[in-house]
Amino acid sequence: MNLKEWIKTLIFYEILLGMKATLAHLLHYKPITLQYPHEKKPLPSNYRGMLALLRYDDETEKCVGCDLCEAACPSRVIRVVSAEVPGEPTKRYSKEYYMDMTRCLFCGLCVDACPVDALGMTQEYEWAVYDKRQLQLNKQQLLAIGDRNFPVREKRLEFQHPNVAYFNVGFKEIPQKEA
Amino acid sequence: MDTGIRLALTLAQIGAVMVAVLLTVALLTLLERKVLGWMQDRMGPMEVGPYGILQPVADGLKLFFKEDIIPAGANKFMFSMAPILSLVPALIGFAVIPFGPDWTIDVGGVNFKPFVITDINIGVLYILAFASIGAYGIILGGWSSNSKYSLLGGLRSAAQLISYELNVGLSIVGVLLLSSSLSLVTITNAQAGGFWNWYFFAWGSFPQAIAFMVFMISSIAETNRTPFDLPEAESELVAGFFTEYSGMRFAFFFLAEYGNMILVSCVATVLFFGGWHAPLEVLQGPEWMHGITGIIWFAIKVASFLFLFFWIRATLPRLRYDQLMRFGWKVLLPIALGNIVLTSIFAYIFP
Repeated sequence: MNLKEWIKTLIFYEILLGMKATLAHLLHYKPITLQYPHEKKPLPSNYRGMLALLRYDDETEKCVGCDLCEAACPSRVIRVVSAEVPGEPTKRYSKEYYMDMTRCLFCGLCVDACPVDALGMTQEYEWAVYDKRQLQLNKQQLLAIGDRNFPVREKRLEFQHPNVAYFNVGFKEIPQKEA
Repeated sequence: MDTGIRLALTLAQIGAVMVAVLLTVALLTLLERKVLGWMQDRMGPMEVGPYGILQPVADGLKLFFKEDIIPAGANKFMFSMAPILSLVPALIGFAVIPFGPDWTIDVGGVNFKPFVITDINIGVLYILAFASIGAYGIILGGWSSNSKYSLLGGLRSAAQLISYELNVGLSIVGVLLLSSSLSLVTITNAQAGGFWNWYFFAWGSFPQAIAFMVFMISSIAETNRTPFDLPEAESELVAGFFTEYSGMRFAFFFLAEYGNMILVSCVATVLFFGGWHAPLEVLQGPEWMHGITGIIWFAIKVASFLFLFFWIRATLPRLRYDQLMRFGWKVLLPIALGNIVLTSIFAYIFP
């Protein structure tokens, strides 16, 4: 070995280089830790969190009990019992709506499947419970989740476009009724 | 009457030193995690107290309340003895270390040295002897756990310990040649003056810097710290000889490791860096303040060495066992012997 390598071995040169690197990290201290319960990670806007049932702005439920979400779910999480709205024979609603969140994948296929946009995904992820039965949600609980996460509500479809009942169609501009 | 006073004073001294050491050990468990975290771009424990200060309390409580399991087929007596055999030598070494100036106070007719518990004239030998007994605790711990991994870990650790003990002993001989005394108080007093008198620099004699390096590396191996911690590493050999220990016994092994670390740092400052002396005379303060400033400078130096231990842990990967043994016997031992030869030649030519 030539002289330079000898000296490097004798004074532990590479080890000192490593120690300089660690000291540099200590002195220019920039932690990358996110301290979880006090600081939470900012979530993207299309984050698929806990599911919720939505309402219209006159407090009526959007869900018409069509069972399309039950059919779309890959884990068979949803169980719907639908019925006619008493007193309005052309309208239906879901009399019972159960979601078993212990099986849910949070894939969002049910949200995509719903024709009236009655299902939404919130940004809640802190749903750990001590008792699994608290994760079998019924309609009341799902509506409650929706109420606290979706403060801005749509108008009923009938009042969105007069004379025309559009379902789940993405027009940017609604054609106005001619006078 | 005399005996009573002396006994009371000594017990008070021992109590003070033990409290200081145990508090430091508790603090070290937290500081190690924090400093390692800061060096790795993360924070250490932050939850328990403000900035994680109460973490050692939480750790201590947890270990205290854990279930005390003795493996089936383990030798119960040895299993219980091993942590104690590890801890006691680590703590007992503090009896000879001078923390401050060599004052003698006359209390009720009893000559009392407040800054060193006992100034026996073979201090260095005493410390080395008790370090060797510490190895017993590890071997017995590994063997009595009735588990092949613990046994292997214990054997490896024991072999590592006795190899590096030799190097520790030999690296100290240079200092002993320069000071011609084994008593730590005498060695400290011989390094009075400025920092050039410290044996690390040893103006007028052969500087013991090489011996210090050998001593430092060997003491890292003695205390089973990274990069020499193969016998106790969590991912190798399933934590080695620690494996079957839980609760308070595990806490004792931990205390023993950190106690050994502090002891070795104290010995390094006393032997190579002038103990309680300040780097420059003027920094020591007036004569009456030497007690306080002595302890402060001693603490600063010990803290720097402990930081060095953490720093090395954060930087280096672990040595494989055969690399470790080869390094100890083939590299450090010749260097230590060479240092002794050179120091003696120097001391002979320039007495």
